[in-house]
Amino acid sequence: MNDSFFGSYFRKNLLLIIIIGFSFIVGIQLFSMQIVEQSKYSEKSDDNSVKPVYQTAPRGIFFDRSHNVLVGNKPSFTLRLTPADYDTKLNGYVESMLGFSDGYISKVLKDTRQYSKFIPRRILKDASFKVIAWYEENQANLPGIDYIMETQRDYSFGVNGSHMFGYTKEISADMLRKRKGEYEMGDNIGFNGIEKTYEEYIRGTKGIKYVLVDSKQKTIGRYKNGETDKPAEKGYDLILSIDKDAQVMAESLFVGKRGSVVAIEPSTGEIIAFLSSPGYNLADFASVTSNKIWRDLNNDPEKPLFNRATMSIYSPGSTYKMLAAITALEEGIIDTNYRINCGGGFQFGNRFFKCLHVHGSVDVKTSIEKSCNTFYYSLILKIGLERWAKYSRMFGFGHKTGVDITEENSGLVPDQKYYDRVFGKDRYPKGILISLGIGQGELSVTPIQLAQYVALLANNGKSAKPHFIKGFIKNLTNEYLEAKPEYFDLGISKHSFDIVRDAMFRVVNGVGTAGNIRTPEFTIAGKTGTAQNPHGNDHAIFVGFAPYDNPKIAIAVIVENAGFGSTHAAPIARDIMKAYLVKNKKVAANAN
Amino acid sequence: MQINYKLQDRFDLVVFVPVMFLIIFGLMAIYSSTVNHPVASGNFQRQFAALIISLFVFFVIYFLPSQYLRTAALPSYIFSIFLLLVVLVAGKTVYGAKSWMDFGPIGFQPSEIAKIGTILMLSHWLTDKKDDINNVKDIGIALFIGFLPVALVLLEPDMGTAIVFGIITISLLFWSGISLFAMFVVLSPGVVAISSIFGTLPFIVTIIAVLVSLVLFKRDLFNSITIFVINLSAGFLVDFVIKYLKPHQQRRIASFLDPNADPLGSGYNAIQAKVAIGSGGLFGKGFLQGNQTQLRFIPAQWTDFIYSVVGEEFGFLGSIFIVVLFLTFFMRLLTLSSFAKDRYSSLLIIGALSLFFSHFAINIGMNLGITPVIGLPLPFVSYGGSSLLINMVFVGIISNIYRNRKSHT
Repeated sequence: MNDSFFGSYFRKNLLLIIIIGFSFIVGIQLFSMQIVEQSKYSEKSDDNSVKPVYQTAPRGIFFDRSHNVLVGNKPSFTLRLTPADYDTKLNGYVESMLGFSDGYISKVLKDTRQYSKFIPRRILKDASFKVIAWYEENQANLPGIDYIMETQRDYSFGVNGSHMFGYTKEISADMLRKRKGEYEMGDNIGFNGIEKTYEEYIRGTKGIKYVLVDSKQKTIGRYKNGETDKPAEKGYDLILSIDKDAQVMAESLFVGKRGSVVAIEPSTGEIIAFLSSPGYNLADFASVTSNKIWRDLNNDPEKPLFNRATMSIYSPGSTYKMLAAITALEEGIIDTNYRINCGGGFQFGNRFFKCLHVHGSVDVKTSIEKSCNTFYYSLILKIGLERWAKYSRMFGFGHKTGVDITEENSGLVPDQKYYDRVFGKDRYPKGILISLGIGQGELSVTPIQLAQYVALLANNGKSAKPHFIKGFIKNLTNEYLEAKPEYFDLGISKHSFDIVRDAMFRVVNGVGTAGNIRTPEFTIAGKTGTAQNPHGNDHAIFVGFAPYDNPKIAIAVIVENAGFGSTHAAPIARDIMKAYLVKNKKVAANAN
Repeated sequence: MQINYKLQDRFDLVVFVPVMFLIIFGLMAIYSSTVNHPVASGNFQRQFAALIISLFVFFVIYFLPSQYLRTAALPSYIFSIFLLLVVLVAGKTVYGAKSWMDFGPIGFQPSEIAKIGTILMLSHWLTDKKDDINNVKDIGIALFIGFLPVALVLLEPDMGTAIVFGIITISLLFWSGISLFAMFVVLSPGVVAISSIFGTLPFIVTIIAVLVSLVLFKRDLFNSITIFVINLSAGFLVDFVIKYLKPHQQRRIASFLDPNADPLGSGYNAIQAKVAIGSGGLFGKGFLQGNQTQLRFIPAQWTDFIYSVVGEEFGFLGSIFIVVLFLTFFMRLLTLSSFAKDRYSSLLIIGALSLFFSHFAINIGMNLGITPVIGLPLPFVSYGGSSLLINMVFVGIISNIYRNRKSHT
């Protein structure tokens, strides 16, 4: 260092004195606070501890379209354990009194050890009155244990609805990390179905009660007499488009059967009834679900947890004939004068495609009324694969309908690209196309897609995305928020629809395949179908709408392994329509 | 030339080890104060990620050729001033100060980057002024370099950071060798201004002290009178400025003067922090066991009040250990600056030292209730990615100087 002044000892030492001097003052202050006056600060820290106690909000209630309760709430007791105050010597006693297995409490404590010991852990949900009575008697000897009133779902309103309502589950540690700030350990969260889709609306806002706690974190009173408390706010109630009568009817008709029903109001896309059978008992999921129930549901060969109505895929069979008919009419390939002769089948190359009967001269209406396959074997060749696929997609097949529950399949509409991928470019055998004409082959659809398709047929190609939600009721203000359906219009001429609808009218009211479901109260139009099933008996399908002049309900019914659509699926559809329409007439009469 | 491969010869563990200890302590305290927090529970992971990036940057700077530090001075200063101007126009307001910039998911404070620019530039300027440092023009330019960021940061307004820039400027001037009289001229108006905040009596006492000093310095009458008038007006100016401060700033000053006057308002944090530290006792309540911390008594405890987490959960021993770590670090910096191979390196180290020490003193002082509540993080310990990164840049510069201390330029 050649600089005489710079970095001199004087300057260095002055800085050293400042640094050491300040550190020394800090040391003295620390000593005086933490050693000399420690008891004073400890007292302060202990006495005046205000502790927030969070209170879960009741979830919103589900109502049907006429404001009947579908899913409600009921109070339940939850027993909790706060590790900071608890003595683990009590483990054995508490476990035996509550009927827990040995080591249950240590396991809970271990599983939740990353959380503060001042946060209570829920150890028993839906505790019985007997348990609460035992706790009340022995409270003095049970430090760190308390109970709170919470609400849990009440499913005692005569509706099952398992797949559409869905259930709530305790939030997983993984989810808790993703949704930090919104949820706390032990909170329930909508896991599937409507409970999941509308979680943000249903769950409400937690309440906070501030309490004063002493050095042992024991509650000694309320903070500021509760002035700063915030009451829990119940979540929004949901008004669903479901009609309870139609839903209950559908559920009763499907006892012991496998299959599904989706009924839609054609003009609005509102879902009137929705069923996947077999279902499961939502009450089993209301509090703590036992491992046995989980095992049984998961191992059941009938797959009760699987939502058939939106996830299962079927060949639509003859119910798909209207799609080919609409396509051909709209594209000008045929008109009502177009006729073919059905001699009991169709020869294509060296293959013969059979029809069920010898229908003779058949026009487009008769082809639907009598379900003539021959008509469609030749027609599909005229339409061609790409046009047929285009109309299929227009009617909502091959992609998800966007219904407001997340469990949904898109099905499959095969097209040129698809077959090029499977067989190589332009190599697919034309025979495949012929099967598509009668709704067989690779084409696969979900029940909800079929229901949307009928709704579009019924309402001249105008409808909205199928949905369950009609609106929300804000509980505090009783304000009603209406949900906005997503309307759309296929832009297909009414003329084409009229022809097809007339044919569907004749299926039920002419000499067609569903004459058995005629009823004096209203006029039904529809179409039966039989879906080939490579794994067993064929599935019976019926799609239809009513009343014919002014459609209020469009429906798709699938009964698995039941055989013909007319005998097994169509009567179910009629009874559900009746449950919905006949009551509506009564209501209308009362209003007048 | 013989190359010595010993690690300690190329890499200063006396600087690096205490810093790493402080960072580890910080991570523990951040974890403890945020793990159960509804909003901040990801802060530990974020801080850890910032540490990985900071260590990478540290090693990059450590291996840079030493002349780069000098070349970077002017560009980094201009860039800093540019950023400080941009943030005033386009910044985001956090805790009442428009001091944050967002780049996608990453937010940072330009004032952090300006610390690098200002220290490099001031050191650069003062390096070439050796014998003629005591003339008014050169001191004036140095003050301009240092106080331009002070003014810009005050406009945000971020009082704490402005004070830090002021302390850095004064420290570098002091180290560069200006005379005691020049130092007195620069410092005394500030001292008078601060004393006048405390009331009329402290103001009068300080003014008398200034008068006595002027007489003792025995300068010519005209200069002495000018300096006295400057001091006098500084005192009155403060009164005037306080009237125009924002109400929350006025409350902060008032609450420092008497924290118990408004126990649920501005003084709340200071009181609760003291309670947390005091109740820690000799050994502390244990990691994750502090009820003040776990019951979230102190808002945003993981930033400016992180020391109270250490105090509560690790007690007197933990708190003293932190002080000892800082002390070791500071004294080492002082030694390194005295033996640096050139004036520029020496000034850089003093710049870093004044930066770290001012943060340390103001932060710990406020946690212990011996300085006012001025929002400044505790270096290496408090939560904050950009602050950790910039601090590690300085540790990188210091380590770089150590690595090159024997080479000749």
